[in-house]
Amino acid sequence: MTRLAARAGVLLVLAVAVLGPLLVTGSPTEQVGVPYAPPGPGHPLGTDALGRDLLARVLTGGRVVVTLAAGATLLATALGVLVGVSAGLAPRHTADLLVRVTDLVAIVPAVLVMLVLAAGFPGSDLAVLAAVTLTTTPFSTRVVSAATRAVAGSGFVEVARGRGDTPAQVLRHDILPNIAGTVLTDAGIRFVAAVHLTATAGFLGLGRGAPAPNWGRMVQENLPGLSLTPLPVLVPALLIAVLAVSVNLVADDLAARTAGAT
Amino acid sequence: MTWGRFLLLRLAAAVAALAVVSVLVFAATAVLPGDAVGVLSGADTTAAQRATLRADLGLDRPAHERYLDWAGSLLRGDLGTALVGGRPVSDLLADRLPNSVLIAVLSLLLVAPLSVVCGLVAGMHPRAAADRAISTATLCGVALPEFVVASLLVTVLATWLGVLPRVSLVPLGGTPLDTPEILVLPVLSTVAVGLAAATRLIRTAAAQVATAPFVEAARLRGVTGPRLALRHVLPNAIGPAVQSLALVTAALVGGTVVVETIFSYPGIGYELQQAVANRDVPVVQGLTVVLAGIALVVLLLADVVARLVDPRQGRHP
Repeated sequence: MTRLAARAGVLLVLAVAVLGPLLVTGSPTEQVGVPYAPPGPGHPLGTDALGRDLLARVLTGGRVVVTLAAGATLLATALGVLVGVSAGLAPRHTADLLVRVTDLVAIVPAVLVMLVLAAGFPGSDLAVLAAVTLTTTPFSTRVVSAATRAVAGSGFVEVARGRGDTPAQVLRHDILPNIAGTVLTDAGIRFVAAVHLTATAGFLGLGRGAPAPNWGRMVQENLPGLSLTPLPVLVPALLIAVLAVSVNLVADDLAARTAGAT
Repeated sequence: MTWGRFLLLRLAAAVAALAVVSVLVFAATAVLPGDAVGVLSGADTTAAQRATLRADLGLDRPAHERYLDWAGSLLRGDLGTALVGGRPVSDLLADRLPNSVLIAVLSLLLVAPLSVVCGLVAGMHPRAAADRAISTATLCGVALPEFVVASLLVTVLATWLGVLPRVSLVPLGGTPLDTPEILVLPVLSTVAVGLAAATRLIRTAAAQVATAPFVEAARLRGVTGPRLALRHVLPNAIGPAVQSLALVTAALVGGTVVVETIFSYPGIGYELQQAVANRDVPVVQGLTVVLAGIALVVLLLADVVARLVDPRQGRHP
């Protein structure tokens, strides 16, 4: 039941975020009425702080959050696999050193990294992408290197090495297929963290600035009018909440099944 | 490993981490093209005026020299001067840091006991009904960004029920303690996020201990309930528990930026967000290094406390 609801939640919010810009009819940045108007004809969700159509902004404001989070997840997972597999296969002291270095990066609070990069590159979505990638990679690296080390020590890898398979063959036929499940699960967990951070970046006004719609920034923009109409705050906040929670539930379910299978 | 060696290694790691952080902060804010000159000079200044200003500020010198200068004055406690307002950053810090520490301490006072209780209740009987409820709730909790939790709390408690103030303004010259009600929403938001993360970590530690043979033996002797949890499981899970609370506290450092921004609470996180918005580079540099330093000190203290409370770590390194 929870599983079904979680999957439905992921699909629903991703659909709104990705397909929303195609469905929107009005302009998300044009002023169409008085600020904080309640829902009415023509504006099913009412208007926001500047009198812009809330529905249009909701439909267009998710894409940047989801694409940045997905991009950062892809980059972090790719880097994590690269460094993690190398660390997992390397001699123990080299591996320890790599893990130490990545741990060093992991200690720094992610929001601080984001703020610093945003101060250096104001208004740049790329800076947000870089910051999110930088802060999520250490966690991927640690998970992947632990998984690789476990597989590398198993009997079938010794057999493959013993019969003279090259390192590339061992990597391709023995290591990668066996860590794929872990990597996929980890990517799910990183995606939650990435959504968390990209939405927070929007909220803090980092990345591409106004008037481009962004669910995170919409919450911040519309907070002053909360007593007039709660929708401009609640709709984007709940969409982010549903996305993050349901992806986390799906990833947790995947993790439980990966752990059960091995 | 002896205490001396242990402390030395941990200190060295913390200092190395802080050095890395300071290089990162400096590289991102000072070396890159959009430096302070762009902020100080208006749009209508000539290239020559900009060059003079650049030379005045010493920005034409090589980056490594400027880094060493900056790091040197950092070590002497000189954090520079804010571009906006012209106050020394250390004044700003002395002014705002106590307010942030207040929120952090209040939150931790709530998170620590609650997360230990919830973590133990869930971890003592993995997969039981209580564990499933707590685990699912915390799984949802950790996924939620702080600003989402905070804005939902504001909507319900401040706007719909009207029992708490929507923003946490502190009167000029006063302290947050003059009007304690302004602290409730920021602390609640921080607690909600921290509690979920800490409970999950402590639950994992407790669940591992709960399956150990000596716990089974205690159960067979008839030890049950709180006594089993507090006397047999908790002492053996306290090391990881302290570490978890430290990790959560370090993460709170990032969370304070968000929570203080949402409530306009005059803390160091709010100042940092404002400084980034104003491109006030010295303030960003100073505050980030101090905040990262605080996170590192918390983690270092946790390492020491975890070792103190868990005698096994001393005997078997």
